[in-house]
Amino acid sequence: MNLFGTKLLQFMARQRKNPAIATISILVGLMIVFSSLSDRFFTIENFQNVSRSVSAIVIVGCAVTLVMVARGLDLSVGSVLAATAVAAAFLASNGINLWVAYLAAIGLGLALGALNATFVVGLRVTPIISTLGTMNIARGIAYLITPSAILVGLPDEWSLLGTGSYFGMPSPTLFALAFIIIFSWILNRTVLGRHVYAIGGNEEAARLAGVNVNRTLFLLYTVTGVSVAVAAIVLSSRLGTGDPNIGIGFEFDVIVAVILGGTSLAGGVGRISGTVIGALIVGFLSNGLNLVGVEPFWQYIAKGAALVIAVVLDRLATRESRPRKENPKSSEGER
Amino acid sequence: MADGTVPRIVGKDRSGASAEVTPPKPGPLLSARGLEKHFPGVTALGGVNVDVFPGEVHCWIGENGAGKSTLIKIFAGYYQKDAGETVLNGTPVAIEDPIHSLSLGLSFILQELSVVPGLTVMDNILLGHEVAVAGNVLRNQQASRAEELLESIGFGAISPRALVADLSVAERQAVMVARALHLDANVIFFDETTASLGSEEAQKIFAVMSKIKSEGKAVIFVTHRLDEVVQVADRVTVFKDGKIVESGLVSEFTLDSMVTKMVGREISKVFPEKSRAPGDVILGLDLITTARINQISLTVCQGEVVALAGLVGSGRTEVLESIFGMEKIISGTMSLGGSVFSPTNPIAAIRAGIGLVPEDRRSQGIIAMRSVEENLSISWAGRTVKRGWRGKVLGLTAEFIDRMAIRTPSPRQLIGLLSGGNQQKVIVARWLATNPKVLLLDEPTRGIDVGAKAEMYRLIDSLAREGLGILLVSSEMTEILGLADRILVMRGGQIAGELGGDATEEEVLKLAMIGEKTA
Repeated sequence: MNLFGTKLLQFMARQRKNPAIATISILVGLMIVFSSLSDRFFTIENFQNVSRSVSAIVIVGCAVTLVMVARGLDLSVGSVLAATAVAAAFLASNGINLWVAYLAAIGLGLALGALNATFVVGLRVTPIISTLGTMNIARGIAYLITPSAILVGLPDEWSLLGTGSYFGMPSPTLFALAFIIIFSWILNRTVLGRHVYAIGGNEEAARLAGVNVNRTLFLLYTVTGVSVAVAAIVLSSRLGTGDPNIGIGFEFDVIVAVILGGTSLAGGVGRISGTVIGALIVGFLSNGLNLVGVEPFWQYIAKGAALVIAVVLDRLATRESRPRKENPKSSEGER
Repeated sequence: MADGTVPRIVGKDRSGASAEVTPPKPGPLLSARGLEKHFPGVTALGGVNVDVFPGEVHCWIGENGAGKSTLIKIFAGYYQKDAGETVLNGTPVAIEDPIHSLSLGLSFILQELSVVPGLTVMDNILLGHEVAVAGNVLRNQQASRAEELLESIGFGAISPRALVADLSVAERQAVMVARALHLDANVIFFDETTASLGSEEAQKIFAVMSKIKSEGKAVIFVTHRLDEVVQVADRVTVFKDGKIVESGLVSEFTLDSMVTKMVGREISKVFPEKSRAPGDVILGLDLITTARINQISLTVCQGEVVALAGLVGSGRTEVLESIFGMEKIISGTMSLGGSVFSPTNPIAAIRAGIGLVPEDRRSQGIIAMRSVEENLSISWAGRTVKRGWRGKVLGLTAEFIDRMAIRTPSPRQLIGLLSGGNQQKVIVARWLATNPKVLLLDEPTRGIDVGAKAEMYRLIDSLAREGLGILLVSSEMTEILGLADRILVMRGGQIAGELGGDATEEEVLKLAMIGEKTA
């Protein structure tokens, strides 16, 4: 059993050179397990349900994938989600035009993203500290807008965006699909995408090759802020409320999805498709555990374990698959 | 091999005895007997014999790549010898790894000092050998031990409780020496430790060396500054091409004879003929001063290869960095193609028509996890974001792979998997794609094999013939002499002198090491 476990781990580590296969096999494995445990799992309704619930993770995860490929990190997405959601709901409940409210929320997301970018790029604070700061600032803003509790008294149209369904797909899923297409295009088909990989792969080399590293990083954090605002609007429209408590632990789900999807913590490696599969793993894991009747506390443990396993796999894979460093013969020529 | 012997005790006996006894010349503390070390395509050491006696400062000199560092790394246990033996106190010992080397009484003071800046002086000196009872460090005893050690090498002024981060470079070296003495080191290697010191600080280190030798221990000192050799050495050993050409008392040498012994190699046929005809001035620097270079004036013409020679740390790379917009220019002006040029960042320099092939290919040049195509096109693609750029990039990559004979299975191959020479060609191609006016090359052949070097030389020659201005920094003398139309020799952040393309190695070395021009 132990030997089998090691073999499996090695196999998965090897397969992570081709992240799609490894993550898909984890996803399929999960689905097989839950299908055998619950007859409500493998149904159209449940899949729609999961795709709806992971849409926010996917929307934000696409942007965070770019940030993490460029060797950054964003811990503030959960709080920014709450701040922008509450901002939109607050304006809408005070009779402001819905689209103006949405626009204001996107503006707030952009501003908070720019704040991250200013810390990271302008003040050269490490991303983990910068975004941890913004995480608290944004949560504070959310509570300042609505000190008491959940905002109610929203107009009826509030729920249109998030609860509709087109082409047999829930509208949040459609939003997520749009983000997947746009960000795949950016990462694979544009100069910006190449610069993102270059910065993550070797920032110094990218800078010396003429890549505007600062501008690119600034853009990535700002785009993440905007993406979070869009996710917030879709999510709170679906929930029908503006809640300052939403998004607690959301950053964790996003990061787990991105890392499960094969994005290297060391930067330079990662794909949108991987992140999507990672998000589905996170979604199906919660959903399956719910259906099977596992207590929510255990879900935290399962997700935490998933993250650690993903990081261990990441390290095994990078140790094996990175192009080897040159042998040290050059040292003679250096002295 | 080293079965059962407890080397530390042997070492203690030796140092105690030799301080007293002088008349019968003691045997060598450390010897190399027919040592050989080969790397793929290179013989780093081809049968080296050296003896190091107690109570002497023994200087090892030679050009870059002559084999001094390889020999040190074998003694330090970083490399394993291919043939021959290392002998300590008359007993052959195979040095297995760095910890083994340390336990044999060998200590190494390197340029990159292995001190912990955040700890105090005494904690650094006694690191790993703390004076403690049940894990509880006895601070007062530590302090007095550290003080005693520092006092013994004339650095008693350093407080044992000071933070190492607050010390000067020379003082940090003293801390390393104190640490070596605490470990009962018998032979202390100083590998180019004075290269980063001013002359006053260097004098302090020389005083430490004399203290060490007066205790019957030995100092091995590798340096490129020959005036220092004359000042501190008892004996001198000259390395050349992995062999020892001469070893003897310092009184048997003069500055001139040392330089002559170090060189005298033929420039092989790997270099293309210098029949280029330089055109108009394309790049001009006028009294450029930054934090690290001082009043640099130079010109580079179209179709000309200008070389910056000098020792490591003499400011050559910094000149290139100032041209590439990486250094803040305090005073002075630059011109490029007749108009004023003052780049504040690499992007501005690239836009103006400058390309830089950086010194360390792995950390500054390539993006190892990305393809040849992406690495090649990254600088060019940034300038053109029109539709259809990806098709153009593919065409461009194919063209350069063909033109420069870059050996890669496909443009999609990860650049990290190519050989060093081919990686370097991709970096050069990266700049050629941007149609530069001037190409800055910093150690363009470092770490690539002989065949690839010859290819790189032909490439540099053909680029110059096409009208590119080339400014070359290299530590390999043959490369400078073989390629350059003009040679600027740097010393201490300034230009010590200018020589023609027909200069001899002696002339360049004299300027670089002594700072004087031969008649």
